[in-house]
Amino acid sequence: MTAPTPQSTSNAATVAALNPANLDGHTIEELSAYLDAERTPTNFSIESSPGCQIALTALGRLRDLTQRDLETQAAAEPAPADSWVQSIMDRIALEARAGRDIPISHPSTTARLAVSEGAVRGLMRAAGDSIPGVIVGRCILHGDVTVPGEPITITVDISVAWGENLHDAADRARSAIYRQLLKHTELTLSAIHITVQDMRFTRPRRTEIKES
Amino acid sequence: MAVRAKPDARHTSAAHIGAVTTSTLAEADDRVVAGRAADGDPQAFEVLVRRYGALMRVYARSILGSNDEADDVVQEAFVTAWQKLELLNDPGAIKSWLMRIVSRRSIDRLRRRHEHDDINEHDQPTGENTQPGQVAEARSLASAIGTTLAVLPPAQRRCWLLKEVAEYSYREIALDLEIPETTVRGLISRARTTMAREMQAWR
Repeated sequence: MTAPTPQSTSNAATVAALNPANLDGHTIEELSAYLDAERTPTNFSIESSPGCQIALTALGRLRDLTQRDLETQAAAEPAPADSWVQSIMDRIALEARAGRDIPISHPSTTARLAVSEGAVRGLMRAAGDSIPGVIVGRCILHGDVTVPGEPITITVDISVAWGENLHDAADRARSAIYRQLLKHTELTLSAIHITVQDMRFTRPRRTEIKES
Repeated sequence: MAVRAKPDARHTSAAHIGAVTTSTLAEADDRVVAGRAADGDPQAFEVLVRRYGALMRVYARSILGSNDEADDVVQEAFVTAWQKLELLNDPGAIKSWLMRIVSRRSIDRLRRRHEHDDINEHDQPTGENTQPGQVAEARSLASAIGTTLAVLPPAQRRCWLLKEVAEYSYREIALDLEIPETTVRGLISRARTTMAREMQAWR
């Protein structure tokens, strides 16, 4: 029904490569065991046989095929029930990821104020996400944030929607994050490094938002 | 439609400023989503649950040899993942990392099932064979492999999946299943041989 694709051609080649008739007197059992011995000690007869070399490559493809089969089965699975997802979310909600305590000065000598590293990361995410097309990934605060005045370097991964100017998006995310940190923390920032990790394709509605 | 994650009280104030929706987040790649989840964002974690839940379920079912416990095992795996996510150095490797966790959870479950003998039935010669024609009629070579995999003896199938999908080393498989490493190599080798042979029937 479907026309042959390069994929099916290479599948046919894989099958042919594993035909015992093409193995210069070796067997599939032998080749398979050789692979599981991690090709040591070197078997010169196998290594010098073109048929065996092709078969070894074909055997290696069984890994990809296994993975592809699982992916295909997974795609055919019903989407996980919302209740099932929710019960995972309920269980993880009990464990916040607070991280280190970042001190904040206070006029009173008896008061000790701090903001959690987790909350600061949340702030950075929200700031970066507010830039059109930007989604913030991992944020790392390098340096000892528990010591006031200690120079801190920040690295932030971002994803940018296809069509946005990368430099511009990164610059705007950096300024937004900087402003929020300045406003809510007393961190001494020496640098904020933004890495565009991902360019993503979004749904067609993009064109309408382009003006913003 | 999407279920909103219960926001962590500590992050609530920040959570609605940026307001990235779950569906927008779902467009981002693993590295960004998992990096964000590692930083403690439950919404990003939910995207991972939806992205890899089905794959993990299929995989757990294949390791366990039954459907009954697969959903539970995957749930447990995700809870463990959340607890340890912070330690993941390369968020881009989240998929294989999750597969390792679900592997570990599945093996634990097998133990609890008192299937120790089953884990070790390494001398079982071959499984029931595939039905005649079953492999030949498979829609793709990958599904022909899946058909063969399904009828392999459980020990062979487990070792194969641990090696080729969860990317365990022979040594790690041996330690987790508590069988000698040479046995593991033999089981995998036999699984591969069977697949190669069955594939000859595929057109």
